[in-house]
Amino acid sequence: MNIMKQLLFSFLSTIGFAVLFSIPKDSISKSGITGALGWIVFYIASNYFHSKIVGSFFAATTVGILGELLARRYKKPATIYIIPGIIPLVPGAGAYYTMLALIENDFILAAKQGTETLFIAAAISMGITISTFLSKSIKRVKYGD
Amino acid sequence: MGYEVKSLDYYVSDREEVRKLLLLAALAGRIMLRSGAETYRVEDTVERLCKSRKDIRYADAFATPTGIFISLEYRSEMMAYLIRVKSIRTDLNRINLVNEFSRKFVNSNMSIDKGIEHLRYINQINIYNRWGKSIFGSLACAFFSMLFGGVFVDFISSFMVSLIILTVISGIHRYKTPPFLSNFIGATLAAVLSILSIYLGLGKNIDIIIIGSIMSMVPGVAITNAMRDTMSGDLVSGLSRGMEAIFSALAIAFGVGMVLNIYFKGLIP
Repeated sequence: MNIMKQLLFSFLSTIGFAVLFSIPKDSISKSGITGALGWIVFYIASNYFHSKIVGSFFAATTVGILGELLARRYKKPATIYIIPGIIPLVPGAGAYYTMLALIENDFILAAKQGTETLFIAAAISMGITISTFLSKSIKRVKYGD
Repeated sequence: MGYEVKSLDYYVSDREEVRKLLLLAALAGRIMLRSGAETYRVEDTVERLCKSRKDIRYADAFATPTGIFISLEYRSEMMAYLIRVKSIRTDLNRINLVNEFSRKFVNSNMSIDKGIEHLRYINQINIYNRWGKSIFGSLACAFFSMLFGGVFVDFISSFMVSLIILTVISGIHRYKTPPFLSNFIGATLAAVLSILSIYLGLGKNIDIIIIGSIMSMVPGVAITNAMRDTMSGDLVSGLSRGMEAIFSALAIAFGVGMVLNIYFKGLIP
């Protein structure tokens, strides 16, 4: 039940961000599905491995690969699908809790939250990097560029 | 970008035509860069557009997030063009449209004047109006606060707070505020309005409302593009976009932190 709720909310949330970034009208639902699947992977993986960093990595990789596949299928730039899908994964909450800990002079907690936030950002970057690399090397092998 | 060039038998007639082709490529690159495309895509599109007519033997482009340089050779004469791009505002639809246009232009004998006209038309398209964008953006933030375990009242107040922030940000965009300043103003507003909504009894969890409301400003586009640029070897663009992401995040954190500091400790500690 909880997972259905997460799926629904992340789908609607991604659609909202997609419209905020003026996505083409025929790609709205596709980007929503990309974002929802990315979030579910984040939710399951971060519970399974007890680490938001690992969860973000797998989620960003999922979003990236899905984006590249959709881009290939519908002949549109991959960023159209990747950007709205990545937004829910960006560690806004981590940055907020770091700031909160700094205000309360709890520097140990701030360091813990801050490093986690930084590593989540790094994990997202790595996820995008891997999916971009995969798509490029497949293209290279296929077309012999 | 995966589109095959079928036959390159389209010629340009004279020097004036080449100049126009260069202008067309520059316009296409400018629209893409201003809409937040990756720099390698901009370079690729500009190059393809220039090389689509057969007499042009050499064409090359170099793009950074703040400008594009193009040069091409026509009958042993070099032509160069430089475009400065000042503000970037993400518009995925325009990226898509220019991408489609360039594929069509390269594979057909479309006249260059018509191409420029079409690009000018693309440059004016806004598929969603300001209010639609703000409302959908605030819905996104409100649903995001639900993802973080908010209750229904948090959904409502997160929606209201984000709606005000997005309206203010798109309002001050006219005055060409730098993105860091508008992020800072947005974050400050987010914190103030969230505290206010708790006072008015509209919201329950202040953390969740603030986290939801700042999601519309987080530098997701900059992070994504920074990595994709770096991966394709555009190190300058990757670095500058990375810096953009860091500064935007710091502006948001500082805005929220300042207000919360005053809220918890009072103006005079």
